[in-house]
Amino acid sequence: MAQSTLALGVEAVGCAAFDAGIKGAFGYPGTPSTEGFEYVEAMIHAEPEDRLAQWAANEKVAYDLALGVSYAGHRALVTMKHVGLNVAMDAYANSALTGVRGGLVLLVADDPGMHSSQNEQDSRRLAKFAWLPVLEPSTVQECYDFTWRAFELSETLQVPVMVRLVTRLAHCRALMIRREVLAPTGLGLAPKETIQDWVLIPSNARRRYLDLLAKQPRMVEALSSMNRLVAGSGRRGVAVAGMGRAYFQQLALEHPELNAMPRLEVAAYPMDPGLEPAFLAQVDEVFVFEEDYPVLEERLTFQRAGKIHGRLDGSLPRTGELTPRLLKNALGLVTTEGQAASSLDLPIRAPRFCDGCGHVDAYEALQEALRNLGLADARVFGDIGCYTLAAQEPMTAIHAVVEMGASISMAVGAAMAGQTPSVAVIGDSTFGHSGLPALLTAADSGVNVTILILDNRVVGMTGQQPSQALDQVERMVLGMGISEAQLQVLTPLPKQHEANVKALESALGHPGPSVVVFRRECIQSLRRGVLKDHDRELRACVEQVGCTPEVRP
Amino acid sequence: MSAPRIHGIVLSGVGGQGVLSLAQIVLEALRRSGLHALQSEIHGMSQRGGSVHAQVCFSDVPLTSPIIDEGCADLLIALEPLEALRYVAMLRMNGQLVVSEEPQADMEGYPPLDDVYAALKRVRGCHLVDTEALARRLNHRQAGGMALLGLASTFLPVSEGVWHEVISQRFEAKGARVLEKNLEAFQAGRGLVHDPVGV
Repeated sequence: MAQSTLALGVEAVGCAAFDAGIKGAFGYPGTPSTEGFEYVEAMIHAEPEDRLAQWAANEKVAYDLALGVSYAGHRALVTMKHVGLNVAMDAYANSALTGVRGGLVLLVADDPGMHSSQNEQDSRRLAKFAWLPVLEPSTVQECYDFTWRAFELSETLQVPVMVRLVTRLAHCRALMIRREVLAPTGLGLAPKETIQDWVLIPSNARRRYLDLLAKQPRMVEALSSMNRLVAGSGRRGVAVAGMGRAYFQQLALEHPELNAMPRLEVAAYPMDPGLEPAFLAQVDEVFVFEEDYPVLEERLTFQRAGKIHGRLDGSLPRTGELTPRLLKNALGLVTTEGQAASSLDLPIRAPRFCDGCGHVDAYEALQEALRNLGLADARVFGDIGCYTLAAQEPMTAIHAVVEMGASISMAVGAAMAGQTPSVAVIGDSTFGHSGLPALLTAADSGVNVTILILDNRVVGMTGQQPSQALDQVERMVLGMGISEAQLQVLTPLPKQHEANVKALESALGHPGPSVVVFRRECIQSLRRGVLKDHDRELRACVEQVGCTPEVRP
Repeated sequence: MSAPRIHGIVLSGVGGQGVLSLAQIVLEALRRSGLHALQSEIHGMSQRGGSVHAQVCFSDVPLTSPIIDEGCADLLIALEPLEALRYVAMLRMNGQLVVSEEPQADMEGYPPLDDVYAALKRVRGCHLVDTEALARRLNHRQAGGMALLGLASTFLPVSEGVWHEVISQRFEAKGARVLEKNLEAFQAGRGLVHDPVGV
């Protein structure tokens, strides 16, 4: 009998990947994708014989790990948030050319409205860019069913398949009905005669690009049953996808007259190019409800300008999430008059550092050191993590936050342009993610840059996942070419404040690159005992074998 | 055929107060009562002491939208008074508000408490609960959330037995004592008199 359970949309993707017999799951944490990996990780850790789950140092590494599993003939899942796909884009776009052996499914969670992201890019555009299929579920059950479908499609078409979620669906909890679990079975290694397909030297790549383009009609055909035209009466139609499809469907429950509108329902791309003209022939006016970029809307507008209503013609806001209210307004439905909003001025309750967080002590020491050196307008380049909160009033201790790993390279660039001393602040996990190559360049540049690595030993913001840089930070720093004399390790605690300020002043005064590691475990992970076993093993190792603490047990 | 009735619940509070945990209990209880239910939550930066809110929609027909429109919520459960005011416009005219009196005022610009209470009392169907006194009486520091749920439960089509089942399942791993304290808080909330302070 089918098991049913409540699950988040992203969890349903992870669960389906397990049930569809994956050998390996990989990912890098990032809201709202994180729980998808954690769900499948927990399932795999409960019976670890045939499968493995592994957080990777970054999304590109995660993607390549999954591609390696696929090459070896097994199914693999890789998970990330939308901006993580930028990091993995090289791997993703080129794996379109190599193709896959075992089914490879990429879960990407987009964040329209930017609940916890720096942009609201639409991953459907990146799938199109790579000439690859993308499935777009609109309910938790579809998250589960489409992921199964994605594995089957991946093996049929021999390409990676993306499952694209948005925040509202990723974090929607609902009933999920599971299918029977498949044991991970392998197709065997990519056959010898296909080896050249995987070697993207220009002579092979030209051939494989043509192969990929030749697969496009097959993709359209394989996906055609997921998109449909629903005939209706009247000349006003709707085109819906993803959460737009979910919101419209529910609205039609409350307003049954909407069911009469001709409908174009889209759940997979690339679409049959004949679908849109057939739809447009039935209607004079179209409302387009899709989450994020106006992908469908642009396609329809290209085919017939005018009377295509959506984000481009101002019927919907150009940015941000869709809501049921926005659909109602666009369709001219009467909205319910509810209670009046409070007339009281309601200040925003911004997220803030936890009480006792070590990051606060590190920033206070940095700000005092900069003041003591008379650097009134010092600019500090920040990075992505809990420590980004320092950009807010009243602290405003960092003055630029762009993307993972940017702090170090931007600080080096600014120093090269004469802005010295130049300061970067980066967390241990972000350092492992994409700070390493930047530090290699920083060491090589020789410019006056001071890099603070706030090492809280976990990926704090996304829920204290293990950091790949755990216990490795000093060795990594020295390995990138920073001299031992210019590496200091400090403890961010109030009682160490004076000593930390002095140490920072000396680092800032050094005319070349220097690194200051502030190490104290995240108080949330400490409270939860996340690293308790790890640290116990570490101590035992030091006592018994005599290895140094920076070497992992 | 008339359109099916779709019900909505909004839960709000501050990161760390257990808003999402309460929402999951409500979702599970509705599901066990044979209803179709969906929950929406927003994680991420909100875990760091910011505003947190969740929504639960339910009906006797399958639903696809996890969020409800403004003016359509039947019930707002707020673990903090200021966080209640943010979502008042979500309530329908005859909706119910179950809110804790206890402020979490460690933030910039928190309005004077008397103004907050006055604003809450202007909300129709407002039930202000002195969770602090209740916690003291029950000798259970974190009784507030479960007590609010207890009071709110009287507005929902879920039997007392189902609530107990779901709460038991939620807390059984934490030991008999913790479970007992939570059931006690839930029952205390359920026993609070329906006496809306609002209009």
